[in-house]
Amino acid sequence: MLQVKDVTLSFGGLVAVNHVSMEVRDGSITGLIGPNGAGKTTFFNIASGVYTPDSGEIIFDGKNITGKRCFQINEAGISRTYQVINLFKKMTVLENVLVGMHSRIKSNFFASLLHLPSQRAEEKELRKKAMKLLEFVGLEKQANDEAGSLSYGQQRLLEIVRGMASDPKLLLLDEPAAGMNSHENDELMVLLKKIAAMGISILIIEHDMNLMMNLCDYIYVLNYGKLLAEGKPAQIQQNPDVIAAYLGGE
Amino acid sequence: MKRTQKNLKRPLLALLAVLLLSVPLIFSGFPYAILICCFILLYVIAVSGLDIVFGYCGQISMGHAAFFAIGAYGSCLLHDYCGIPIMLTMVIAAVLAASVGAVIAYPASKLVFHFLSLATLSFGEIVYQIISHSPGGITNNFVGYYTESINFFGLTLDTYPRFYYYALGCAVLFLTAKQMLVNSQVGRAFIAIRENHHAADGMGVNVRKYKVIAFAVSAFYTAFAGAMYAHLVRYISPDTFMQKQSVMFLTMLLFGGTASLAGPICGVTVVMLLNELLRSAERYQMFIYGILLLAVIVLIPGGIYGTVEKAIKNVFRRKKEAAKDAAG
Repeated sequence: MLQVKDVTLSFGGLVAVNHVSMEVRDGSITGLIGPNGAGKTTFFNIASGVYTPDSGEIIFDGKNITGKRCFQINEAGISRTYQVINLFKKMTVLENVLVGMHSRIKSNFFASLLHLPSQRAEEKELRKKAMKLLEFVGLEKQANDEAGSLSYGQQRLLEIVRGMASDPKLLLLDEPAAGMNSHENDELMVLLKKIAAMGISILIIEHDMNLMMNLCDYIYVLNYGKLLAEGKPAQIQQNPDVIAAYLGGE
Repeated sequence: MKRTQKNLKRPLLALLAVLLLSVPLIFSGFPYAILICCFILLYVIAVSGLDIVFGYCGQISMGHAAFFAIGAYGSCLLHDYCGIPIMLTMVIAAVLAASVGAVIAYPASKLVFHFLSLATLSFGEIVYQIISHSPGGITNNFVGYYTESINFFGLTLDTYPRFYYYALGCAVLFLTAKQMLVNSQVGRAFIAIRENHHAADGMGVNVRKYKVIAFAVSAFYTAFAGAMYAHLVRYISPDTFMQKQSVMFLTMLLFGGTASLAGPICGVTVVMLLNELLRSAERYQMFIYGILLLAVIVLIPGGIYGTVEKAIKNVFRRKKEAAKDAAG
């Protein structure tokens, strides 16, 4: 699905991501962990097109997407959520999801200006689909509320459905459980498993080890921009390098 | 509750339509008032254009007088030099302004707020310089340019009532188009860019493309209004298209409230009426606007319409909650 080959990106003298290679397999949940400042979010920003890597290649679905812009990568089938909540706060919950569908909309400018029958039919379909997505995470009652008025946990959920709205093949989740309580955490895990079962592969960054070990099929560990380890959750838990990086041992 | 709201809407709209249509009859002995209404209508189109790029897409323009000028001079010059009927030259000039807007927006789409305001400010200045120091003097420079009335399929719109009905038709057309556009995926993309352009980009919105579209559509509106102005007054000169005019558009928009249908209408009407009231104190006009604008921004940031809308919504919500409490 997603293959990252030997990607490097530096900001001035700081090498944020240093010769990293990894792979996300079809239908799997792949985890990305590492201490703060390890380059996880920078790696996400490379994969989603915010940054262009200095060297290396990113292959998605057999196509080279290195250096493509964000909206093109979204169109290609990779969607994402953000570490800091990045919703369109003044828009309604439903509209947020509709914006998420943008790259799948066929109506052009003039069809939209004139509200041609084809555009109206499409708009109706989109709304129906958006409501279904909201039902999927239990936000259907808030559909017409302003996104900014939702609770923190609900905003996180909205970020996830907005990301799912473009029918992505791969969803990048940047700390979706940040700030959630343990009950919300459990619900999130069930939800993410459901999403994976729908055939959407997931690449997830998260600090909650309990969640990651139970959720992920495969885990990569970054430290100081370099790939420190990779393997199944059980292997990662046993890896002395990983334990040292997290606990600060020699 | 909703039903009463809906039931009220139809008769209110009908009343408004009757009122708007009878303006020339009401003021039949007072043509100056009809002229003011003509100005209000054309400024509503111009300011609604600005609202698309500023209110919805969140991109400031301090140079919209330039598009107003391109529409006005473009239409007059095309009519005189190429002999094209004015009905057509108005549209051609507006399309021309939209193309210029797109060309300007392409590089400017990388700029954020204060840099964008500087860039658009200088664009306004460039156009002002061109029309006041035109090559070969084709715009008559500071002397000003005389032009004719619109010939509307054989009917010359040379009286205020005639122009009023034409302007009313145009305003309804342009405002309807604006509503259609902002209530579609294009409008959603505009608002998404205003709210959070990083997230808009990540969700598949081609931010640059939509900024260019917003500028182009906005320029079309304002330029068409400029052409209307030219053929209403039948005389244009560079001092109508100075920086002051761009600021006036922004003032009207902020007064009324951004990102709504009624905001520009309220803003233009209030500012135009104030204009007339302050006729005798013309020297202090800009000073008074400055203070009023400051007051609006500080005290009612949503503008006049934005504040009224919020108040109405609050009343309805309170009623609903009261009903709920009573039921519970």
